[in-house]
Amino acid sequence: MGTTTAGMFFIASLIIALALAYRPLGDYMGRVYSSTTHSRPERLIYRLLGVHPEAEQSWGGYARALLAFSAVSVLAVYGLQRLQDRLPLSLGLPPVTDHIAWNTAISFVTNTNWQSYSGESTMGHLTQMAALAVQNFVSAAVGMSVAIALVRGFARARSGTVGNFWVDLVRGVLRVLLPIAFVGALVLVAGGLVQNLSAPHEVTTLTGGTQAVTGGPVASQEVIKELGTNGGGFYNVNSAHPFENAVPWTNWLQIFLILVIPFSLTRTFGRLVGQLRQGYAILAVMGVLALAGVLLTNVFELSGGATVPQAVGAAMEGKEVRFGVSNSATFGAATTLTSTGAVNSFHDSYTPFGGMMTMFNMMLGEVAPGGVGSGLYGMLVLAVITVFVAGLMVGRTPEYLGKKIRAREIKLASLYFLVTPVLVLVGTACAMGSAEQRASMLNTGPHGLSEILYAFTSASNNNGSAFAGLTVNTPWYDVALGLCMAFGRFVPIILVLALAGSLAAQSPVPESAGTLPTYRPQFVGMVVGVTLILVALTFLPALALGPIAEGLS
Amino acid sequence: MKHLPNPLRRHLAALRALAVLTVLLGLIYPLAATGLAQVLFHDNANGSAVRAGGRDVGSSLIGQSFTDADGRPVRKYFQSRPSAAGDGYDPTSTSASNLGPEDVIDVPPAGGEKGRQSLLTQVCARSRAAGELEGVSGARPYCTPDGVGAVLKVFPNRAVSVNQPCPATPFVAAYQGVRVECAKQGEDYAAGRTVPVRGNAPTPPAVPADAVTASGSGLDPHISPAYADLQAPRVAKERGLPLDRVRALIEQHTTGRILGFMGEPSVNVLELNLALDEG
Amino acid sequence: MSTSALEEPAPERDGRAGGGLLDPQQLIRSLPDALKKLHPFALWRNPVMFVVEVGAAFTTVLAVLDPSVFAWAITAWLWLTVLFANLAEATAEGRGKAQAATLRKAKTDAVARRLADPADPTRWDVIRAAELRQGDHVIVEAGETIPGDGDVVEGIASVDESAITGESAPVIRESGGDRSGVTGGTKVLSDRIIVAITQKPGESFVDRMIALVEGANRQKTPNEIALNILLAALTVIFLVATVTMQPLAIYSKLVNPGVADSPALNADGVTGVVLVSLLVCLIPTTIGALLSAIGIAGMDRLVQRNVLAMSGRAVEAAGDVSTLLLDKTGTITLGNRQAAAFVPVRGVTPSELAEAAQLSSLADDTPEGRSIVVFAKQRFGLRERQPGELAHAEWVPFSAQTRMSGVNVDGREVRKGAATAVMKWVRDAGGHAAEEAGHLVDGISASGGTPLVVAERGRVLGVIHLKDVVKAGMRERFDEMRRMGIRTVMITGDNPLTAKAIADEAGVDDFLAEATPEDKLTLIKREQEGGRLVAMTGDGTNDAPALAQSDVGVAMNTGTSAAKEAGNMVDLDSNPTKLIEIVEIGKQLLITRGALTTFSIANDIAKYFAIIPAVFAAVYPGLDALNIMRLSSPQSAVLAAVIFNALVIVALIPLALRGVRYRPSSASKLLSRNLYVYGLGGVVAPFVGIKVIDLLIQLLPGMS
Repeated sequence: MGTTTAGMFFIASLIIALALAYRPLGDYMGRVYSSTTHSRPERLIYRLLGVHPEAEQSWGGYARALLAFSAVSVLAVYGLQRLQDRLPLSLGLPPVTDHIAWNTAISFVTNTNWQSYSGESTMGHLTQMAALAVQNFVSAAVGMSVAIALVRGFARARSGTVGNFWVDLVRGVLRVLLPIAFVGALVLVAGGLVQNLSAPHEVTTLTGGTQAVTGGPVASQEVIKELGTNGGGFYNVNSAHPFENAVPWTNWLQIFLILVIPFSLTRTFGRLVGQLRQGYAILAVMGVLALAGVLLTNVFELSGGATVPQAVGAAMEGKEVRFGVSNSATFGAATTLTSTGAVNSFHDSYTPFGGMMTMFNMMLGEVAPGGVGSGLYGMLVLAVITVFVAGLMVGRTPEYLGKKIRAREIKLASLYFLVTPVLVLVGTACAMGSAEQRASMLNTGPHGLSEILYAFTSASNNNGSAFAGLTVNTPWYDVALGLCMAFGRFVPIILVLALAGSLAAQSPVPESAGTLPTYRPQFVGMVVGVTLILVALTFLPALALGPIAEGLS
Repeated sequence: MKHLPNPLRRHLAALRALAVLTVLLGLIYPLAATGLAQVLFHDNANGSAVRAGGRDVGSSLIGQSFTDADGRPVRKYFQSRPSAAGDGYDPTSTSASNLGPEDVIDVPPAGGEKGRQSLLTQVCARSRAAGELEGVSGARPYCTPDGVGAVLKVFPNRAVSVNQPCPATPFVAAYQGVRVECAKQGEDYAAGRTVPVRGNAPTPPAVPADAVTASGSGLDPHISPAYADLQAPRVAKERGLPLDRVRALIEQHTTGRILGFMGEPSVNVLELNLALDEG
Repeated sequence: MSTSALEEPAPERDGRAGGGLLDPQQLIRSLPDALKKLHPFALWRNPVMFVVEVGAAFTTVLAVLDPSVFAWAITAWLWLTVLFANLAEATAEGRGKAQAATLRKAKTDAVARRLADPADPTRWDVIRAAELRQGDHVIVEAGETIPGDGDVVEGIASVDESAITGESAPVIRESGGDRSGVTGGTKVLSDRIIVAITQKPGESFVDRMIALVEGANRQKTPNEIALNILLAALTVIFLVATVTMQPLAIYSKLVNPGVADSPALNADGVTGVVLVSLLVCLIPTTIGALLSAIGIAGMDRLVQRNVLAMSGRAVEAAGDVSTLLLDKTGTITLGNRQAAAFVPVRGVTPSELAEAAQLSSLADDTPEGRSIVVFAKQRFGLRERQPGELAHAEWVPFSAQTRMSGVNVDGREVRKGAATAVMKWVRDAGGHAAEEAGHLVDGISASGGTPLVVAERGRVLGVIHLKDVVKAGMRERFDEMRRMGIRTVMITGDNPLTAKAIADEAGVDDFLAEATPEDKLTLIKREQEGGRLVAMTGDGTNDAPALAQSDVGVAMNTGTSAAKEAGNMVDLDSNPTKLIEIVEIGKQLLITRGALTTFSIANDIAKYFAIIPAVFAAVYPGLDALNIMRLSSPQSAVLAAVIFNALVIVALIPLALRGVRYRPSSASKLLSRNLYVYGLGGVVAPFVGIKVIDLLIQLLPGMS
């Protein structure tokens, strides 16, 4: 079997596995978020928290609770990093520098997991477990809770509430993420990932040199890193590291874990709004964009169109032999299509168009299928914008799932759609306008521009992967990218929750032949088109001066 | 708590929530996972150690350099891929090169600043070195015979082979009727048009792709079967072993695609070298 | 550009939603107004065009400081872009102004004869019409102009309302009932009436009408506001995308020091003129320019159909209507029952019955009676005889006591009338009413028809089946409505049996029988609770609560003032069927906005392919691959894109004023069609258009 054929089988097998998990997981999550009973451990937790699980919150209350939790989380992650030398399992590492600690705190709380540090030489085991891995869980659960709140907005009628944040958070962690993570961690260890609390130990190699073999609670962190679309690696080289991603099948499993919740949430969405086909339509939009992203990345990487890959004979720079070009490209696409940002190969060394695809995948706004929760709510906002334009074209006040899309809804959706591109472009422009910041580029010419564009795209979209040649552990980048991550995460969340509140308060309009059907291929095609055109129009100038200029040289 | 203002109550709840979840997810979960993993998959969980002569010599998952103290290849060993991790295969400083696909122009050292070899030149140099080591042609497309990137800077009435500092002989004498010069130190060629020249090297080149590129982790424990085959005659000769025996060992340490389609066939270099050492 | 895709004129299908054609003269006449609208304060409300104007002003400064043919050409076309947008709005308003002028003529300085005491029509004082207050009573005689809106409280008169409705035939206005409303500015042709004034000074119907057609205080409608927000957001995004491109451009130039400066790109980045051009080409100028014109023209289309909408909101709501309440009489049926069959009893031939029926009805002037004569003629070829032909005939008129009418001629007595009355008459004459006739009568009643029994003295001949006749083409109309997702409900005072029969025949979805005004109100509220928007027509005072409650309430102009006040539209033709057209116009308004938005955004793709390579191919020659139109030079590429962007506005003004073609069909089909025409067309048209313009302008000086 040739490399390309094997690569296509690899993609096909992932699709089949995701399809098999789709119904059970989607339905299960639907039950989790609509269940009215609380398990005993949950009751205990609510008591410890001092919250009433039955008390429903308005969108404002929900948002305030979420922001309070995130604010406390940022402080905690920052504090644990700064104090790690006084805590156990520090491996003798000093406190993390202030700007890196701030950047990392924001980064993990916002589900970005951008790493301006090198894991093995910066973070002790306790920091990894108690600060970073905890956020891997809860930031994912926060994303899911926001998505569920929005879905409730669609599903409810004349309601002033969108759910209870604490309940959604606890359930997301306890009932969805933790069980899968626990099993997954052991499966990954079976594949060769390490799971211990050891410090690096020196060995003498065959040729008489020394090598420090590192340890750590890697597998338990790795699994939630993928499942929660977080992406922050235990080690600097992330999932390229053999201890994080030992064999081709752990690679396959990681891609599966990255994609499984974001895709399955569309089923949950269909369940909760009582129209499965609406969920399928959203799934189809995500699926079309994702498949195109994966295949194009593969095409560009396998064809190796650029001077160095041509000289080499394959785009193997920055890729591992055990994964090869195709599986690396598939991972690269999956990680950028979701807001994961884990990497098993280095995007900076991809072919120009392959690298552009990883960037373009993020520029879609992390919606295909996007991060856990954030992908669904982002896609629903795009659907709202599409419905608006399409709805006008059928001569009615646009409505989606029986809810009218009026000035208020469009205002929130438009602002949502504005936030990320503005952060990306303004951030890139600021960095590119300063010779000092440009000095952080590793590569020259258009590729250097791509490094900076990638950094701000990744941070603002809460992805976390990088064209890693860029030196970003400087105060300026740590602060600037930290701000991008914070605004790129929480402004959209507030807008989405406001939208949820506004929708929940509406009384639904009954469907008729004059209603635009939002479950047909026609609508799916239109959402895909609107997404692609808006993204292309927004980013084409920047892309033209970066990867396109490089690729067409 | 009833008497506290709302924002404070909210933040207290948030603090408690984080504390509870940190204990659960940051301590109980990883420690339980560690405990179980240590029991169920002890070897794996501790880094798949490889032992020889009663001592740890590394991990089967982590690649090693098989070079001497000066960085020259030890001829009796199969060589790993180039590595960008620290000084090579340093697990405490993992890294990829992160150099781009059009990184073709070297920065010569100037004014006390260290220069930088372009990725293309690194590839060309590795190819030439590997060719020399294995006794095959190290020629590659876009590479000069002396192992740098074959790149011209073209000006209206002259052309410069920008990676070949004088007094080197440019790899071509003329480009589109214009004479090609070597690169003079200190001269700025930025204004010229960059033209990589493919040359007439064969495809595929004798030295395989993984031999001339750095991996993503810098710890890649594998090489491709093609690269192993290329090295087999040298290792056999050095060790006085029949070539077939070496090839059989390669075969033994080659992992095919899992289920026929996952990953790429790969040869574990450390295990192969260890097997050779153990005879 | 490929106009074929866009310029399909809306066919004037039996007077349905289309629109007046654009008169080129009108464009020229609107030019002064368009120039006036260049004032920044006037443009402030339209963020898209405001950005264009700021850009135009900026390039003007640049062109003055560093003049070149290219800079001046761009500047000129940017100003033209703003001007064209203003022209669209001014033209739309201009059409309304012409109508307002006609209306103003009607509103001459009339005088009023105000009665001191409403009960005493002999004492009055003469005051100016403008001084009339609510509750004043005025007396108006033949030849006088009615001084203000009000209700006739005494007398009956024929009134010429042509000044408002354009209809030359006079109408009858009388006190009491549902034809009591009169409008100021109309003229009494005969008789004398006393009118109670219901308007407030300066708020007469004509005043409001003038304000409406002029668009003087036009409020933005909800969907228009939402669309404006979206357009503003897009404008911001493209503004950011263009401005942030600058540091990237500077860098790109910096790392390619060998490339000479060009009119598009130098060491300071993209030149101001080109940057503004790119921005203007990207922001949704097409829809931004035409948006308000579309709204004004939508109202105007209603006015042309003699419907006055009191707010744009109501027009938009019409597009959303999902339940239509239609009065049976006059809307669904012709208004009067007509003979549909002659059913003889055994032993009587059909023609015998027909002859008797005709004979008995010759002198019957009621519509029912006339329909019997007509039916006899059409179906049985019986010549219509004039009553005078039968010299000895003694006509027996209908009376409330006898409840039958007929004729005694040549010793023959023929009667027709209500079953019980005629049967009694037969029995009284010694005959016996056939039991069979009773069954026939019951059968016709059961089917929703009205039976009239025809008899000779002592003998029942048969039964005439009278029934409501559904207007031609109604079933198709209602099928269309159903495809549009609109539920039709027939409102009638008939009993449920009759109502069901007519409902079935007309093909409405539902009916409300024996409807009282309260029933109507309840029905509307129930529909609205389910989230449906309800439209209805009404004319009587007792319709007012329902009209007020409905989302689209169309009052008939013939109706009472109370009804006109309660509704949010007035139909000057008093044609209840027009509700259907109103819905179509509402939909057309939204579709036009959506279609032009799509077109505008789709246009951007081609503009990128024109401008990006034009600016950057110098530094990155590879980018010339994006120049798929093979435009001749960077300058001509940028200018061609700007010119196309401006011209497309002018080209689409007719479409904006007329509205895109609307054919009632399902949402899916509509969307597909509009996506093909305006989405795909919007992608393709600018590629062709820009290329053609480039071919034309490449020879100009300064273009290479």
